[in-house]
Amino acid sequence: MLKKAVQRLAAGTLAVVPLLAGIAHADKADDTLRVAFTEDIINLDYHYTTKREYIIISELVDETLLAINPANGSYLPALATAWEQLDPVTMDLTLRDDVTFHDGTAMTADDVAYTYNTISTQASQTLSGGRIAVWFDRAEALEPQKVRFHFKTQYPLALQDMAIRVPIRKQGTYEAGGSFDPNAASGGPVGLGPYRVTSFESGSELVLERYDGYYAGGPKGDPAIGTVVIRSLPDEGTQQAELMSGSIDWINGVPRDVAESLGKMPNVKHLSGPDRRIGFLILDAGGLVDPEGPLTNLKVRRAMAHAIDRAGIASALIGGAAARIEGACHPSELGCNQEVTIYDHDPEKARALLAEAGFAEGFETEIWSYRDKPMSEAIVSDLKAVGIKVNLRQVKLDSLNVARANRQIPAYFGTWGGDTAPPIRQHFDPETDRNLSGDAELSAMVTEAYAELDPDRQGELFAKIHARITDQVYWIPLWSYSVNYLTDPELVFPLDDDGFPRLYKASWTQ
Amino acid sequence: MLRYIFLRGCLAILVAFTVSLAAFLLLNVASDPAQAIAGEDATADVVETIRARYGLDRPLTVRYFDWLGGVLQGDFGESYYWHKPVAALVADRLDETLTLALSALAVTIVIAIPLGALAALNPNSWIDRFALGVAVSAQAVPNFWLGLIMIIVFAVMIPIFPVSGDSTWRHFVLPAFVLGSSSVPAVMRLTRTGLIEVMGADYIRTARSKGFRGWQLLRRHALRNAILPVISVLAVQLGQKFGGSVITESIFAINGLGRLALESILGADIPTVQMLIFVFAIVFVAMNLLADILNAAIDPRIRIG
Repeated sequence: MLKKAVQRLAAGTLAVVPLLAGIAHADKADDTLRVAFTEDIINLDYHYTTKREYIIISELVDETLLAINPANGSYLPALATAWEQLDPVTMDLTLRDDVTFHDGTAMTADDVAYTYNTISTQASQTLSGGRIAVWFDRAEALEPQKVRFHFKTQYPLALQDMAIRVPIRKQGTYEAGGSFDPNAASGGPVGLGPYRVTSFESGSELVLERYDGYYAGGPKGDPAIGTVVIRSLPDEGTQQAELMSGSIDWINGVPRDVAESLGKMPNVKHLSGPDRRIGFLILDAGGLVDPEGPLTNLKVRRAMAHAIDRAGIASALIGGAAARIEGACHPSELGCNQEVTIYDHDPEKARALLAEAGFAEGFETEIWSYRDKPMSEAIVSDLKAVGIKVNLRQVKLDSLNVARANRQIPAYFGTWGGDTAPPIRQHFDPETDRNLSGDAELSAMVTEAYAELDPDRQGELFAKIHARITDQVYWIPLWSYSVNYLTDPELVFPLDDDGFPRLYKASWTQ
Repeated sequence: MLRYIFLRGCLAILVAFTVSLAAFLLLNVASDPAQAIAGEDATADVVETIRARYGLDRPLTVRYFDWLGGVLQGDFGESYYWHKPVAALVADRLDETLTLALSALAVTIVIAIPLGALAALNPNSWIDRFALGVAVSAQAVPNFWLGLIMIIVFAVMIPIFPVSGDSTWRHFVLPAFVLGSSSVPAVMRLTRTGLIEVMGADYIRTARSKGFRGWQLLRRHALRNAILPVISVLAVQLGQKFGGSVITESIFAINGLGRLALESILGADIPTVQMLIFVFAIVFVAMNLLADILNAAIDPRIRIG
């Protein structure tokens, strides 16, 4: 808390120091984009990592068979120009013939088959392999530019996995030393993406150079900046100071007040864009924690939904592109249905519903939370205003996970980033302990939706699922988040609707 | 003497194992290493894959004795986070921490001892009050605050030093000052108190009567006796700087053991945390032992063992 206060004080002080106006920024001159992450970058092989920073790097270095259009969530051709589902468990993909790895060798169907067949084995211990294990059986190269996928079972989201989770590796990557080596590409894969790794000091600095042989006409376009340097700087205050001194051009995840304060300086630009993350309150509707508890009463849950001023909290505490959401999904997510039951902020109605439910004097409950304490406190305050006395349990994520698995949590404030999987899949699967709904029919619908091949039918199922979740108030969907960036004023950094930062789109002002 | 050193060495190893066991238990109770490695939004299957990959699905006792068996054979295991042997990881980072710790100690000595001596030679004067003011300020200011202020002043407003990093000597100037300043109060006060006490001794009066004054008196007669407790404190301070540079290394992005410790704790990288605690405990006990030995070497009246 004190540290944050000092950072804010420092930011405020810096904002009024006129000396700073004269500091020169040399980055445009040497065509180098300098980026800072709080996360230590230690492994460049996305098959073995999961966190967002690694996805950002993989987008620069790697290429996947397909891409996702950030504007509408549809699939775009990338390494594959066409794909055809021959039957529910067989798919053929046609590959581009003008794609080369960073060492100059041409990519063929053998590389694609090798990648999928290798990373899907349990022995490889890849994290991407765990993701595709649900559906992937084997891949075979039919022709130099044609590959056939055999599925274990029909799986409509196979294309999504192909687009976001499986970068293609050159044949033999992991066996270069004779036996299988999971760290073979950790220091810098020979990728297919728009930038190639030129140096990497684990936990310290990664240098990427634009790859001149990158294929034209791909979904990532033609990158404008020649060199990207990514540094690991764990302290946010240090990142901001580096930005002030002109040694860093781009940082993200800056607290709103700091970003707004520093953004007023002449040598800093503040950008605020959408974030794929959403917040929600999960309620023990199924009585899994307390079979007779007040949260099993639909009127109580609806009262809670009316009690929370979601728009007000999103605007006051997050700001930027943050907005109230109605459905249990991010608006940019494929199949997201926001046309569901609306619960306006109406404390009077909340009190009336509580009275109807037999809780005119309110009741006591617990809400658990592991992040965003100010938002948790605002929720508690709104609920208290209608008579619900909430004991807020602000804990670490690990503790929440354990307590949830032990069925000790009647309600919790959760968030989901959406980079790795859609939230309803993770929260309403029949097997997951995140599912407090107790609604077996809903879980069956979720399973059916993710196995449905017909896009129209799948869309209908998603709409029904989202409508049911909101109507029954298994969740109170709260808000989408926004993310604050601070950049060099000469940097042009487009912000996509899905909130994912794509550094290859950056350019310098002309 | 040798027996004493041997016993203190055994004590250091015992302390290291005890503390590492406590760290192992606390980290496993307080966090889920698999979840920490996977990240907040990881799906359940990813977390389980990681758990199996690192053997985190085995019982705690099996994992601890597995680690202990490795340590007894000189193998501290592999880092969950960095995917390399922990011993190599620690060795890689040792240089930066040693450089920082020794530079910080030099800063402490250069500021605290002259200031303490000046204060002792001019008790209750404005110099004494100024020295006291410096000591109180250095004690009151937290490292992270001082670090950020130093960055703002000397790297942003007057850009004469880099903000962060560890590739040149210039990168160590600000962090050494920040880390070193925290030890100034203790060393300065000890120097002052020791000197004031010594300056009232009979042999100093005798030295004065022989014509010794000022710096000559201080160097040839007073300091040698007054410095004894200071040496002990400096040795202990060096141990503290070695293991206590977590905040300073993080603020200045120095890839040393302190930053590694912080990253490992946050990432629940248990093998790395255990080895670091092992190393820190041994260094701390060794520095205390060094203080005893130095005291005995300087003052023939002290006998250890």
